[in-house]
Amino acid sequence: MGKSWLRAYILKRLLYAVIIAWGILTVTFVLVRVGPSSPADRYLANMTASGQDVSQIVEAIEARYGLDKPMHEQYIEYMGNLFQGKLGWSFSNSMPVIDLIKTHWIYSFQLILLSSIFAALLGVVVGIYSAVKQYTKTDYIATFFSFVGISLPNFWLGVMLILVFSVKLGLFKTYYDTGLPLFSLDNLKALVLPVMTLGTGMLAGYVRYTRSAMLDNLRKGFVTTARAKGLPERTVIGKHVFRNALLPLVTIVMFDLGSIVFGGAYLTEIVFGIPGLGQISFNAIFANDYPVVVAVTLIGTSIVLLVNLVTDVAYTYLDPRIRYD
Amino acid sequence: MTRRLRDIARKVGRPLYVNRRLVNYYWERTRRNKLAVVGLAFILFLILLGAVGPFFTLDPTLVDFEQKNLPPVGFTTLKSVYDIETDELATSEVRGIWTHPLGTDSKGRDMLAMIVSGARVSLLVGLIASGIAIVLGTIVGVLSAYLGGWADNVMMRFTDIMMTFPFFLLLVLIVFIFGPRLVFIVLAIGLTGWTGTARLVRSESLSLRTREFVMAARAMGASDGRIIFRHLVPNVVSLIIVIATLSIPGVILAEAALSFIGLGDPTVASWGIILEAGQHSLDTAWWVAVEPGIMLFLTVLAFNFLGDGLRDAFDPKSNI
Amino acid sequence: MNAMSNVILKITNLKTHFFTRRGVVKAVDGVDFELRRGECLCLVGESGCGKTVTALSILGLIDSPPGRIVDGEVRYDNLDLVKCSARQLRQIRGKEIAMVFQEAQSALNPVLTVGDQIIEQMKIHLPMEHREARNRALSLLEEMGVPSVERVMSSYPHQLSGGMKQRALIAMSLTCDPQILIADEPTTAVDVTIKAQILDIFRDLKAKRQMSLVFITHDLAVVAEIGDRAVVIYGGKNIESAPVSEIIGSPKHPYTAGLIGCLPDISQTTDRLASIPGNTPSPIDLPQGCSFHPRCSKVMEVCSQREPAQIAISQEHQVSCHLNQ
Repeated sequence: MGKSWLRAYILKRLLYAVIIAWGILTVTFVLVRVGPSSPADRYLANMTASGQDVSQIVEAIEARYGLDKPMHEQYIEYMGNLFQGKLGWSFSNSMPVIDLIKTHWIYSFQLILLSSIFAALLGVVVGIYSAVKQYTKTDYIATFFSFVGISLPNFWLGVMLILVFSVKLGLFKTYYDTGLPLFSLDNLKALVLPVMTLGTGMLAGYVRYTRSAMLDNLRKGFVTTARAKGLPERTVIGKHVFRNALLPLVTIVMFDLGSIVFGGAYLTEIVFGIPGLGQISFNAIFANDYPVVVAVTLIGTSIVLLVNLVTDVAYTYLDPRIRYD
Repeated sequence: MTRRLRDIARKVGRPLYVNRRLVNYYWERTRRNKLAVVGLAFILFLILLGAVGPFFTLDPTLVDFEQKNLPPVGFTTLKSVYDIETDELATSEVRGIWTHPLGTDSKGRDMLAMIVSGARVSLLVGLIASGIAIVLGTIVGVLSAYLGGWADNVMMRFTDIMMTFPFFLLLVLIVFIFGPRLVFIVLAIGLTGWTGTARLVRSESLSLRTREFVMAARAMGASDGRIIFRHLVPNVVSLIIVIATLSIPGVILAEAALSFIGLGDPTVASWGIILEAGQHSLDTAWWVAVEPGIMLFLTVLAFNFLGDGLRDAFDPKSNI
Repeated sequence: MNAMSNVILKITNLKTHFFTRRGVVKAVDGVDFELRRGECLCLVGESGCGKTVTALSILGLIDSPPGRIVDGEVRYDNLDLVKCSARQLRQIRGKEIAMVFQEAQSALNPVLTVGDQIIEQMKIHLPMEHREARNRALSLLEEMGVPSVERVMSSYPHQLSGGMKQRALIAMSLTCDPQILIADEPTTAVDVTIKAQILDIFRDLKAKRQMSLVFITHDLAVVAEIGDRAVVIYGGKNIESAPVSEIIGSPKHPYTAGLIGCLPDISQTTDRLASIPGNTPSPIDLPQGCSFHPRCSKVMEVCSQREPAQIAISQEHQVSCHLNQ
């Protein structure tokens, strides 16, 4: 036995992640360069808008950002800068993009963390219950509401929650205040509606995934064995079935991170004015501040890449049957 | 989303030739699922609404400030009017009128007309963008499975790269770079949304490639093109139907979300654009945000119900 | 000794039906038999005849819905197990009546170690420390002829061979010294050499522990080797029961005779194996009258009209067939 194959496997995955990361950066580079307006044009548009003389600064900009160099040199420089963590300069915030992200990522993280905890805890419990009670009224109701949950456009749900709770009922009228500590009571209150907004879709997803993963295992032979041993139903479901259902569940949940959670968090931050990465990207769109928009996409993608890597490795511990080669 | 699709569709994919009996059989099975039938009925209604609705409604672009912020029929709101004579703010009650059954927005445009024209936009975006994505995904998937070797490797690694991008963030970046025009939005969704389909179709084709009828065709000297188009593609049709039904709502939502953050085409009144305007007037005209959202929600729900029913019909064993 | 007082398990008119969309599946539709202390009773029949459902019904392990025991009695130790509460049943399962399942591969939980699964049962039924339970598990595995028991204990099911898994499963069923052991085709999924070893284990159990065994099989060769008495089941009913020597020597039911005809006899050279024509009837619509009549070589007019009553040929030999009326 031994875990030497595991080390080799992790190394292989790391190498693979590097290749994917290179692909991502290249795709992004190509996208930005083939766009109808070059980054320089964007800067110029902003400079002229603020009343400056374009001709005086055009060369300075091109020289500063290396846009006058041949494409392959620009590419190498772009890669080099990214490796040093230089994500560019945000003129609308007058600071390096990396500093902007360093101050704002925590708010996105807090929102996603709280929503995930809320959705995962409730979703797994409801999903298990729904699977165990398959074909009963409870199961039908849970299934129906999980359909509703995944079909609700999350930004619209956010707007509706504001309409009902803030505008009509006058509850949760607080706004997120970066001056206060992250977990201060006021900020937590301000996060109630956003967590509901982002959490509902995730919750519905977890209910469906848990239910189906449980159902896949509920009729397996080892469940009958466990019952025949005289184990209490709680142990049969909680230990024998859920341990097996956990594996597909982990994959799906991790996969959702990129496709549902990040998109949802982006929109939720905008609806509720939470100063996370979605919000700064949104502001940057209006300010034509392209390095910020690119950086937020890259950050999100890198996190997905890392999480995929961690999931792959975690799997080797969760599922004894898996042996990568 | 794609993950869910993959898990669902991995189990689907029985041969669905141009075979009336099989189609009838699947239809009978789908019909048993009442929610799927309701979903299908709503989608048909929506298509009808988008196709002929605009001929019966008012001009959705007609601005009329006299009639602004009218509530839907059956609702009333309070409206403050400044009276020059008395130099006072007079509050009056405004009732919805039948000329504008769903009310008007802050520029006095008819909500019903906007919702109907929005249905057309959303459906077109949904159908065309997922059409592009599915055609692309099927081509990549079938080719990848059929060619194998380094071609398969290159295509699948590229798919991995595209899959790592969080879908919405990539869309935001592309539409930001290329500009908010409906053509670009549809293309952006179509050109980024094919990865899930490609993976699914590839794995389905891989298992088909070793099945007897493909082997037999090859043994009889059928050309590559013939095998691909006569034997592989027809057999992934049922899989593709399910993927399409379940991916259209995602596309419609993506367009709406882009519009909502200001990356929508301002010249087209899609539901997302109306919704975006509506969220700024929640206190004066709540219905402007509520109505397009309800339509969006019902449309997505209908497609999800239908997709779920179809998936059950094609493969009763799966239970996702 | 009086035969009646020696009965440890008595099943009377057991009926287990499954209520599905396509109709009522009468998987078990009137099974009677009694198990005597220290004997090995074989339930014989083709797959789908209701043997396994009978075994699962004894311990109340039928999935409900769709299954339900609609009638009958399972008498064990002055208790009717059909009427027992879930709690009472749990105390009997594994402790008083244990079960060994057909496919060890699916009967063991893939994500838990074999040791964990063996020890788990003792912790529930017996006042045992972990150390003590572990030692008992080790000695039981040794008794089953498992080499390097320590390694097997810490292995996951997929790391063991089929024969090893089957032994672990048998060891698991013996942990609490049950009164009755029900074995559902324990030799079907293993190859011939392992089969002989597994049969030896069961013979030992009977000889050394005076275990009362219900042995389910479709293989009359196995019956001849291990059984004391046999009950032949067809279409959810027992059609013949007798001591094994009588069943094999002078079967009274054409179906039993047919089954014996299927036994390959190496002393005779025949070109092909005899077989019973046709298939087991669908338990949704069993044939009118005697459910075997469409396949029976000695079918009479009465067979399709009336169900034959069970008659005693001798005190030990019952048969349900019009030929013997």
